[in-house]
Amino acid sequence: MASLTIDKLIKSFGAVEVLKGIDLEIEDGGFLVLVGPSGCGKSTLLNCIAGLEKTTSGEIRIGERNVEGLHPSKRDIAMVFQSYALYPNMTVRGNISFGMEIRGVDKAEQEKAIQEVADILQIGELLDRKPSQLSGGQRQRVAMGRALVRHPQVFLFDEPLSNLDAKLRVDMRTEIKRLHKRMGTTIVYVTHDQIEALTLATKIAVLEAGYLQQFGTPDEIYNDPNNMFVADFMGSPSMNLIDGTLVERDGALEVQIAGHGGSSISLPVPDGAEMRKHVGGPIVFGIRPEAMTDPDGADRTSPHIETRDCYIEVSQPAGSDTFALTPLGGKECIARFRADARIELGAFSPISFNMTKAVFFDPQTTGRIR
Amino acid sequence: MRDRLQEWVPRIVLAPSFVAVLIVVYGFILYTGWLSMTNSRMLPNNEFIGLANYTKLFGLKHWSIALTNLAIFGTLYILISSVLGLFLAILLDQQIRTEGFIRTVYLYPMAISFIVTGVAWKWFLDPGIGLENTMHQWGWESFEFKWIKDRDFAIYTIVIAAIWQSSGYVMAMFLAGLRGVDNEIIKAAQVDGASGFLIYRRIIIPMMRPVFLSAFVVLTHLAIKSYDLVVAMTGGGPGRATEMPATFMYSYTFTRNQMGVGASSAIIMLIMIFSIIIPYLYSEIRVGADKR
Amino acid sequence: MSHSSQDNAIESGRLVRALIYTLLIFFVIYYLLPLWVMVANSLKTLDEIRGGDMLAPPKDITFEPWRQAWSKTQIGVEATGLKPYFLNSIIMVVPAVFLSTFLGALNGYVLTKWAFRGSNLIFGLMLLACFIPFQIVLIPMARILGMLNLAGTIGGLILVHTVYGLGFTTLFFRNYYAAFPTELVRAAQIDGASFFQVFWRILIPSSGPIIVVTIIWQFTNVWNDFLFGASFSSYDSTPITVALNNLVNSSTGVKEYNVHFAGAILAALPTLIVYIVSGRYFVRGLMAGAVKG
Repeated sequence: MASLTIDKLIKSFGAVEVLKGIDLEIEDGGFLVLVGPSGCGKSTLLNCIAGLEKTTSGEIRIGERNVEGLHPSKRDIAMVFQSYALYPNMTVRGNISFGMEIRGVDKAEQEKAIQEVADILQIGELLDRKPSQLSGGQRQRVAMGRALVRHPQVFLFDEPLSNLDAKLRVDMRTEIKRLHKRMGTTIVYVTHDQIEALTLATKIAVLEAGYLQQFGTPDEIYNDPNNMFVADFMGSPSMNLIDGTLVERDGALEVQIAGHGGSSISLPVPDGAEMRKHVGGPIVFGIRPEAMTDPDGADRTSPHIETRDCYIEVSQPAGSDTFALTPLGGKECIARFRADARIELGAFSPISFNMTKAVFFDPQTTGRIR
Repeated sequence: MRDRLQEWVPRIVLAPSFVAVLIVVYGFILYTGWLSMTNSRMLPNNEFIGLANYTKLFGLKHWSIALTNLAIFGTLYILISSVLGLFLAILLDQQIRTEGFIRTVYLYPMAISFIVTGVAWKWFLDPGIGLENTMHQWGWESFEFKWIKDRDFAIYTIVIAAIWQSSGYVMAMFLAGLRGVDNEIIKAAQVDGASGFLIYRRIIIPMMRPVFLSAFVVLTHLAIKSYDLVVAMTGGGPGRATEMPATFMYSYTFTRNQMGVGASSAIIMLIMIFSIIIPYLYSEIRVGADKR
Repeated sequence: MSHSSQDNAIESGRLVRALIYTLLIFFVIYYLLPLWVMVANSLKTLDEIRGGDMLAPPKDITFEPWRQAWSKTQIGVEATGLKPYFLNSIIMVVPAVFLSTFLGALNGYVLTKWAFRGSNLIFGLMLLACFIPFQIVLIPMARILGMLNLAGTIGGLILVHTVYGLGFTTLFFRNYYAAFPTELVRAAQIDGASFFQVFWRILIPSSGPIIVVTIIWQFTNVWNDFLFGASFSSYDSTPITVALNNLVNSSTGVKEYNVHFAGAILAALPTLIVYIVSGRYFVRGLMAGAVKG
C-alpha cells in the first residue's frame, strides 16, 4: 500500500494538450475518485498512472517511487477496465492467474491465491467457466478478482460500473466500498457518475477540459464548490445557479433576483471585502434544491432561513420528494419539497431558502466569491 | 532500460515487411520507371533516352490494338458484370429457399484459376468441338459461332468468359449491400404505397451506390491486370486480335527483347490503375476516419 | 448474409415467384455449364468428343484421360503428366501462405495495438501495394531473384508470393484487430505480458476466423497465380497453372481435349475443395478484399 502523488502532469497527443498540469495527492489507503464529463481527461490521467500512456512532462510517484518510464507491470498497480477486458479464450481461473503465470509464480501458490480471491468475491463456482458464459455482474467480479490477486499498492478502476444495469450498479458500488474497507488499499477510480463519486470517495478530483477544477473531500466538493462548473456538475438535480444583482441597502448586502412576471425577490448576502467588489453588478447565486423547501420542510437546525413567495409553475412528484419549478433570474429553478407538501400550481407559494448553504459566484470568471 | 527497448519492438517487428514492400513495390516501380526511359533491349542498360520509348509505344499498332481491346473489354466486362451481379442479387434477395446452394454455384468460378476458366471456355467456344458442333449434332445445322477464331469478335469471347468468372463475385457484393439496407426504410416505403419494383428502383438501388463504386474499382483493377485469361483462351490471337496491355507488356519485355518499351507500357498500366484506386482509397479512408 | 428475416423481399404474386425461380435456375445452369463440360468430356474418349455432342454425358466412361493428365501426358519436353507440377505448386503454396499470413498477423497487431507516429502512412503504402499491376515489378524482380540465386527456383516463387501477399494479409488482420478491444491488451500489459506474449496468448487465440479467411485468400491467390509462375519458374519449379497452359496451348501433336479437361479439373480441384468446404470464409475474404478502409 502506498500513497500516490501527481505533480504538474502534462499529457499531449500531438499538438493537443489533454492534461494541462495536474497536481494531486492521495494518502495511503485513500479512495480517490476522478470525475468529470466525457473528454475531460480523466481516463487519460488514469492511463498515465497505469503507465499505459506516456506522460509528456511532470511526475507520478507511487509511494516514494517515481514511476516515470516504468512498464505498467512494474508499477505495482492493478486495473479494472470498463469493459472488464477479460481474456475471452481463458477460463476465469486462467484470467486470474495469467499475471502470476507471466511472473513465474509456482502452481501451488497460484492456486492458493486464486482460492483466496474466489472466496472474497464469491466466484468459486465460476472458476472453470469462460467469460462468455458469465453475466455482467459476474464478469465484473472476475475483473476485480484479477486485480485483487496482484495485491497491488494501488488499484485503478476505469468506469467499472458503467456497463451494468442500474440495480446491479448500486450493489457493486456497495461491494467496492466494502472491499476497500477490508483491504485498505489505495484506490484511484474514474467515473462520470457524480453519485458514484460522492458515495465512494475519500477525495474527489473534478476534471474538466484537462484542468483540475477542484480537489477535495466529497463534502467540500458538494457544499463548497470552487466554481460554477463544479457546482453544476456535482449533485442531482444540480445546483440552481441564479442570476441576480448585488445591491447594498442600509449598509447590508443583498441579492435581487427577478421572479415571475415583473416580481422580484431579494435575499440577504454575507458581507465581505471580496463581496463588496461586486456591489452594483451581476452575481450568480448558487443554492441546491434541497436548500429551497416548503417552509415546513426547512432544516430546523439551520440558523439562517429566509422565506420568500415564489411562483410555482410545475411540480414533479418523485416519490420521496416533490420537485417544484419556479422561475428565478430568468431560469427554471428547482426546489425540493416534502412529498406531501401541498403545492398550488400557477400561484405564489412561500419557499424557504437555507442561506447557510448558499454560495456566490462571479459570472465573469465563474469562480467563487468567498 | 529494458522497458525502453520494449518500445522499439513493434517498429522492429513491422520493419522487415515494410522494408520489403518499400523495395519490391515502390523501389521496383521506380526502377521500372527508370528502365522505361532507357534503351534497354534484352537486358537492362542505363542509356538514358528520355521519353522516346513512350513516343514509340504510342506509335505502335500493337499498343493501340491493346488499348482498344482494353476499352472494349473493360466497358463490357464492368457494365455487364455489374448489371448481372445486381440482377442476380435482387433475385436472390426474395427469400429463396435454396439460397445457400444457389449462391455457392454463382460464386464458385471465383475460386478457380483464370487458366482453368480459359481452358474450359476455349474448347467450349471452339467451333470444331464445342458449342457450334453440339448445335449441329442437335440438328441446328445452320448454327454458327466462330467468334473465338474471328479477329473482329475474339475479344468478345474473352468478355464472356470473364463475366462468367466475376459476376458471382459482384452478386455477392450487392447481396451484402442489399442485406445491409434497413428493413424499416422498406416498410416505410410500403406504408407510403410504393410497389416492389418502385421500391427497388427509387429506394434500394440508389442506396447501393457505394457497392457500385466498390464493384467498379475491383472490376477495373481486374480488367487492366487481365493477362491469364487471354493467354489461356486465345494467346493474344488470332493474330494479335486479343492483345491487351498486360500481354503486350509481357511479350515486348520477354520475347521481343524490347524491355524499354515493355517497361513504359507497365508504367502506363500503373498510371491507369492508380488513377482509379488512389481517389477511391482516399475517400474510403476518409469516410472510415469520419466514422471513428 | 443468411438471415432470411432481414431480407428485403417484397410481397409478390405466384407468377412472379415462378419467374424468379426460372431465372435463378437458368443462371445455375449457366454457371455450372463449363464445369459440366469439363467433367463430362474428361471422361470421354477423344473420338467421342470429336464426333459428338459436347454437352452430352459420356457414353463409355473412361478414366484414361485422368491417368494421362496426372502422370503420362507430355508437357514441355517430358512426358510426366501434371503430377510434378502439382507437387511444385503445393511446395510453393504452403510456405508462402504460412509466411504471409504470419507476417500479416504481426503487422496488423502492430498497426492497431502499437500504432506509432507514421504507422498510418506505412499502412497506406502497404495497402496501395495490393493494387499495383504486377507487370510493373516483373523486370526488377527477375534481376533481384537472379542476384539472390533464386531465379527459377521454388524458393524464389515463395519469396515473391510472400512479399506481394503482405499487403492483403496485413489489411485483413489490421481491420480485424482494429475491432479487437484494446483494453484486453492493456490488461495483459498490466499483468506483465510482453509484446509477443500479448500476441500469442491474447490475440492469436481470438483470431481463428480471420486466420482462416486469410489462409483461404492467400491459398487461392497463390495457387491460381499464373503471371509470377510464368515469369520466374524454370522447368523444375513450374507451378500447375503454367503447366496446364503449356499442356493446352502446345502447338505440337494432337489436341487431346479430354486430357486437357481432366488437367484443368486437377488444377482447379484444391481451390474448389477449399471453397466448397469453407465458402463462408472465402466470401468474407473476397468482401474484405473489395471493401477497404
